[in-house]
Amino acid sequence: MNSSEPVIFEMLDSIGVICLNDPPANELAIPDFITLTQLKRWLETPGLKGLIIKGEGKNFSAGGNLDAVFKNSNHPETLKTLMHDGVKLLNYIQDLDIPVIAAINRICFGGGLEIALACHIRVASENALLAFPESNHNLMPGMGGTFRLPVCTGFARSAKMILGGDTVNAADAKEMGIVDFIAPKDQAFEYALTLMRKMTLDRPVKVIRSIMQALKNASDLPQEEAMGEETRLFCSLAVDEAERRKTEEA
Amino acid sequence: MTLQFSLHQQIGQLTLNQPPSNTMTMAFFKEFRVMMHDIATTKGLKAIIISGNGRHYSSGADINELLANVDHRTMLENYRAFVMLEQLKIPVISAIRGVCLGSAFELALFSHFRLCSADAVLGLPESTYNLMPGIGGIQRVASLAGKANAISMILRGVTFSADDALGMGLVDAIVPKDKLLDLAIDFANRLPTNILKIDRAACIYKYLKPLQANG
Repeated sequence: MNSSEPVIFEMLDSIGVICLNDPPANELAIPDFITLTQLKRWLETPGLKGLIIKGEGKNFSAGGNLDAVFKNSNHPETLKTLMHDGVKLLNYIQDLDIPVIAAINRICFGGGLEIALACHIRVASENALLAFPESNHNLMPGMGGTFRLPVCTGFARSAKMILGGDTVNAADAKEMGIVDFIAPKDQAFEYALTLMRKMTLDRPVKVIRSIMQALKNASDLPQEEAMGEETRLFCSLAVDEAERRKTEEA
Repeated sequence: MTLQFSLHQQIGQLTLNQPPSNTMTMAFFKEFRVMMHDIATTKGLKAIIISGNGRHYSSGADINELLANVDHRTMLENYRAFVMLEQLKIPVISAIRGVCLGSAFELALFSHFRLCSADAVLGLPESTYNLMPGIGGIQRVASLAGKANAISMILRGVTFSADDALGMGLVDAIVPKDKLLDLAIDFANRLPTNILKIDRAACIYKYLKPLQANG
């Protein structure tokens, strides 16, 4: 990929790949690395079954460009809007009803880690390094990392990692529950792609969406409502499958 | 009967009884729903142990029968019966050997504790039939093994070993196959009878680990 766009989208079979494209560090120029409108347009791609977010070149992303943040510090309202858009974008990604995998090679800092934490599954290469270094610059993670990280690894370890600005290697991040799968050196994307293919290639889009929806309902809805919804989703798939089998026989 | 209940010294043994695979047919679910109401109103029970007759726990629902009889209301009633099991005030232990797939694995996930033999094969393969786990398996796997494991396992529709299940927190202990039921009974006898007062992790550490060491 040698486009000059800061973020590139391409389709591999039915899998959408979002590539942070400002190597070597893939710094994020503004907190919302793409606009929600842009993302929604990509998501309209017919047959899309899953997303992988990766960095161009060796690294995932070194995070937000601090110059841009400080430049806007004279315009607190502008900065607030930018951060708010970033938060909205990441929440939107987290709530998607197709699976989203972050493929993390080497550096994944600050805003890069914020993006990764909003994904459903994190694959890190064995030489990946993760950190929220914001506190070293008298700042803090500002796009949900302070509440997403504790979901993965608990309050105490999150506090230590964020306050200390600690850099965590892939093995420790796996142990802490921050990453889910470890890939060989620099192979996070290949690993993520193989995993995503196994998860989606032979599955109808509706099956994928139903399963992701049921999972989301489990945390968003009261149990009684989630049960009713799950049964409804199941029956709808069962009716489709019964119909498909009839057609196949005929 | 596709489901057997027997009582030994206040411990109820629920046996899935359609060997060899103990398929969970519509007849089974109907019996199970009635059984749950009976158990919920039976006084003096200390614990419930669920296992399969023969080599397997169960291969899960009968897909062909299910597809021919898709009914939202029945599905929801089955789901409620599983929830009733989970909400019993006494401990429910699944003793798993052989295959434990689909709805059967969901049933095991609604138990409070899961013991299994080393040769057990578990999983939620529904998506490979263009379906999804429909009775609470999705959220229970997510809460025990994390969202990422749940998504990757359920979308791939893979089966996995007892070792992998233990690693993901989906079963609590692996025990020798020939002692599975005895150890489950022994474990049940040591557990406090009020599940509401139980700290799952503490019980596994305090009562289950010593049994494994002796086994």
